[in-house]
Amino acid sequence: MVDERVYEMFREIGRDMYVHNLVSSHGGNISVRFGDRIIIKRRGAMLGRLKPHDLIETGLEKNDSGVALASTELIVHRAIYKATPALAVVHAHPRRAISLSLSRDEIIPIDNEGSYLLKKIPVVEVEFASGTPQMANTIADALRTYKIVMMRGHGSFATGQTLDEAFQWTDALEEVCEIIMYAHAMNEQMIEYRKHSDSYKNW
Amino acid sequence: MKGWMGKVLNVDLGSGAVTTTPLDMDMATQFIGGRGLGARLLWDLVGPEVEPFSPDNVLIFAAGPLTATGYQTSNRFSVSTKSPLTGTVLDANSGGWWGMHFKRAGYDAMIVRGRAEKPVYIEIKEDGVTIHDASHLWGRTVSETSEALGQDKNKRSVLCIGPAGENRVLFAAIMNDATRAAARGGPGAVMGSKNLKAIVVEGKTRVEMDDKERFRFVQYESTKMLKANPVTSQAFPEFGTSVVMNIINAIGALPTRNFQQSYFEHADDISGETITEDILIKNTACWACPIACTRLTKTSKGEGEGPEYESAWSFGAACGIHDLEAITNTNYICNDLGMDTISAGSTIACAMELTERGLLDSDLRFGRADLLEQTVEDIGYRRGLGDELAEGSARLAAKYGAPELSMSVKKLEMPAYDPRGMQGQGLLFATSNRGGCHMRGNMLGSEVLGLPKLIDRLQVQGKAGYVILHQHSAAVLDSIVACKFANIAIAEEYFARALTALTGVSYPTGDLIKAGERIWNLERLYNLREGFTRDDDNLPPRLLNEPATGGSEGQVSHLGPMLEEYYRARGWDANGVPKRAKLEDLGLAELALEVV
Repeated sequence: MVDERVYEMFREIGRDMYVHNLVSSHGGNISVRFGDRIIIKRRGAMLGRLKPHDLIETGLEKNDSGVALASTELIVHRAIYKATPALAVVHAHPRRAISLSLSRDEIIPIDNEGSYLLKKIPVVEVEFASGTPQMANTIADALRTYKIVMMRGHGSFATGQTLDEAFQWTDALEEVCEIIMYAHAMNEQMIEYRKHSDSYKNW
Repeated sequence: MKGWMGKVLNVDLGSGAVTTTPLDMDMATQFIGGRGLGARLLWDLVGPEVEPFSPDNVLIFAAGPLTATGYQTSNRFSVSTKSPLTGTVLDANSGGWWGMHFKRAGYDAMIVRGRAEKPVYIEIKEDGVTIHDASHLWGRTVSETSEALGQDKNKRSVLCIGPAGENRVLFAAIMNDATRAAARGGPGAVMGSKNLKAIVVEGKTRVEMDDKERFRFVQYESTKMLKANPVTSQAFPEFGTSVVMNIINAIGALPTRNFQQSYFEHADDISGETITEDILIKNTACWACPIACTRLTKTSKGEGEGPEYESAWSFGAACGIHDLEAITNTNYICNDLGMDTISAGSTIACAMELTERGLLDSDLRFGRADLLEQTVEDIGYRRGLGDELAEGSARLAAKYGAPELSMSVKKLEMPAYDPRGMQGQGLLFATSNRGGCHMRGNMLGSEVLGLPKLIDRLQVQGKAGYVILHQHSAAVLDSIVACKFANIAIAEEYFARALTALTGVSYPTGDLIKAGERIWNLERLYNLREGFTRDDDNLPPRLLNEPATGGSEGQVSHLGPMLEEYYRARGWDANGVPKRAKLEDLGLAELALEVV
């Protein structure tokens, strides 16, 4: 039985993701780890309109009937929890970040907030980019070192101690990408204001 | 590999032999340094047949790879031994300058074995190690000893015990740089049992770095974090750790009168704000620390350091006392005699309740500030009732027929957070490997301060995961070694990157936290080997049955379901024993499979 406070957290983060244009109506998924259990969004449920029955509980390692109802990306969430200390995972389809991922192997923020929070976001790529073991392992491996990564052409995966935290990295990424796009569109010489800015590439 | 000095100093006080051996680098990369390295060495050196005061018990002083590098708060070291208070694996951790000088003398760790025939002190310099007679220092206080041995934080650091350590007070501290304490669990008593009064270090050798430029960039980014975080940039420097006194009290989680209540009506009198207003001279800092939470204070009797939050609580709210002058003076005495202030204050609180219930014949009553200073002196010198209090609250309460009145876990007195108002903190205390302790992980950030994000402090479901993460993180911090307060602002990711740049060994954040899990499990295995069981993962019955007051009114600790979730999440069985698969995953199977 999922605690009412846990549902409230899912409902609020899911709604905010939709409102912030980080997912389309039925896209994206979020989960938390409770010990050896995972609470994850139901497959096909709308993040912006989560109901209590849209929260599916299943095992971190072991399958049970929950897997028949859980998000298709359950395999990725499991891999992330096994490879990292994450207690929450947010997967989104942030449109500007996806656009930048089509031409870059890493996204390096140019704004102050993004530099402060994220430093660098790697872009990874796999052939079958949805719900496959290959994708799960690639994402999980990247998240051992980074708190948010982009899968080229697909979307972001972010980790945190809470959904709130993983959502923060996701929303921050989209803001980073929006600023990069604006700056690029303006096509003016950028004045570097950050000390040691070249070092972000090596983060 | 860089970062480590590559040497372990071995001192046998029985024979007087001093040798140097190479640091086992496989062991170092797996267990890092400090507490982790100490636990790993202790596993081999001190088995269940060794009593804490036996010459066969050891004291392991260990720096970490980060120590002495200049990274924020990289001044710390740990002391590992078998605890005389709890019988568990123990490491106590301290800041100041000693750890930096010790590492710069060229060592990662020092193992002290045996017992000297007469009091001695050890002098460590880069050109040699000498054991000196310390008969003239025996009986002298921490400040007297530090001065006599030439304490100078900039070039020569003195670590010593006071009379409490000599008298084997079970919660005696090892003090360094006069006022810093490695206190919990009584390592000072083990040092006293070895007739070892002090260890003096001088060192100037710089720590080599694998990628200095990258290391300095991580340090630069870490500085931003510390400056941006109001706890580390404003609250701690201005008010010290006691800045949380009013916050914790407001939510009804400030243990009061031996945990009979969780709200103290006079909390403001002992708060960080009042300390700053009434007695603060200035704040000071350990080496390489930009936070500067230390309080240099004065009273009508003199000047000294503290009280910090736990001490202001233990001699204050825990004893129903709000006389800041008396609390501060008592804190000075405790430091000078070399004792753990948490255990000292909490044991006095236990005696007060025993007395008020008619089980103990003494003058101690809640609110008797006038008795504090004398009582602490009596403990340090084991005079009168002080001799009984020197055994800690668990033995005291058991002796007078009310073991439930000891507010301890595994015989270690709990600190200033009431588990009824912070559910996760209760689970943390119950499962801590060295007993009731807030430094083996702390839910203050998650459950109260919102660091990194606020979670519901009264929620039960899912708490195990947070507790486990904080426990692993604390094990990492204690092993690299850095201060927990830096971790308030600087996330584990930064420490992992600093460690990687420093050592050349790749430590992705997840792998570093996994090293913390390895250390935690080895400590657990140590305790299991000593005979500890699931029954020891518990809280005093008061916290499970008697409702809290104030902002947590009506709450009790829901330890049972949290503990079940905790064992499952850890990959342990229902008795709290790590399963074979977990040991294999952590690389501990070969070492410890016989224990499970």
